[in-house]
Amino acid sequence: MSKNPSNLKNIDRLIHEPTRLMIMTQLYVVESADFLFLQNQLQLTPGNLSAHLSKLEEAGYVEIVKEFIERKPHTALKLTKKGRNSFKEYQQNLKQIFSDLPK
Amino acid sequence: MVMKMNVKTSLKAIEKRTYISYHQDGLIDIFVGVYVLLFGLGIFLRTLEDFSTWFVIPAIFPAVMVPIWVSAKKRITMPRIGYVKFGGRGANKLMAVFIGLLVAGLGAFMVFSFASSQGWALTVRNLIASNGMMIIGIAAFALSSLFAYTMGLNRLYAYGLLALVLFLAGRFIAFPFEYILLTIGLAVIMNGFVLLIGFIRKYPLPQGDETNVEKSL
Repeated sequence: MSKNPSNLKNIDRLIHEPTRLMIMTQLYVVESADFLFLQNQLQLTPGNLSAHLSKLEEAGYVEIVKEFIERKPHTALKLTKKGRNSFKEYQQNLKQIFSDLPK
Repeated sequence: MVMKMNVKTSLKAIEKRTYISYHQDGLIDIFVGVYVLLFGLGIFLRTLEDFSTWFVIPAIFPAVMVPIWVSAKKRITMPRIGYVKFGGRGANKLMAVFIGLLVAGLGAFMVFSFASSQGWALTVRNLIASNGMMIIGIAAFALSSLFAYTMGLNRLYAYGLLALVLFLAGRFIAFPFEYILLTIGLAVIMNGFVLLIGFIRKYPLPQGDETNVEKSL
């Protein structure tokens, strides 16, 4: 890999935003979680979380699954395959940038 | 290399924190405490005079208590902190705990049923009664530490340590076996309730706003 700061261009800016990065990280370590769980874990307001989730959903990174748990409607959130791959790629790109920096 | 390790450690830490947050409600403590208490009560009340039948409890208990525990999780924990499904390791860890309890109980039941049929039960009982306190204490500490490490719940180390101290003390000051079990069971249940009350206070049931936002997704 070249030691070129233009590698920064490879960084996915949608994921790089701190709040969305927290959401992506949290969803990466579980299979799925609901809105309330994410809100509690990340200490975000409902409006803030909702806005960022919508952006991630638009990008196809997060899937919103409507399901029934014990006959009650329930909304689960999970990373799509595209979302997981993008997150892994983001990790690798970030690692590469830091490893390329002079010590 | 260091960066790779840090990223992995960080993700692992987040996974662990998520898993621990799901068990901060004290329900698992109450579950384990009742399990131990039933043993102590059985012996104390002499309803389980036949040594082999002690092991009916660990065999039956998970089958009876797991649905109750799951129901309590759904009614108390999930409405407060939300619902999460742990894929892979997280789910496997919890399943391993339950299967471990079930297998240990059934195994012990079979071994002691066999021992009873061979007339060894009294010998085994005497052996444990006279020399087994230290073994049981160490085994309890090892088992608790294993679960603590697997589940990432540090308070299980403390329970194991309590068991170790009490069984060692019981060995030297002739503290009856059933009292040790009752003490451990009660201590764990009490801590479970303290955690549960703290959890309910920390996470009151959410108001309608959050639900509306969730519905809008």
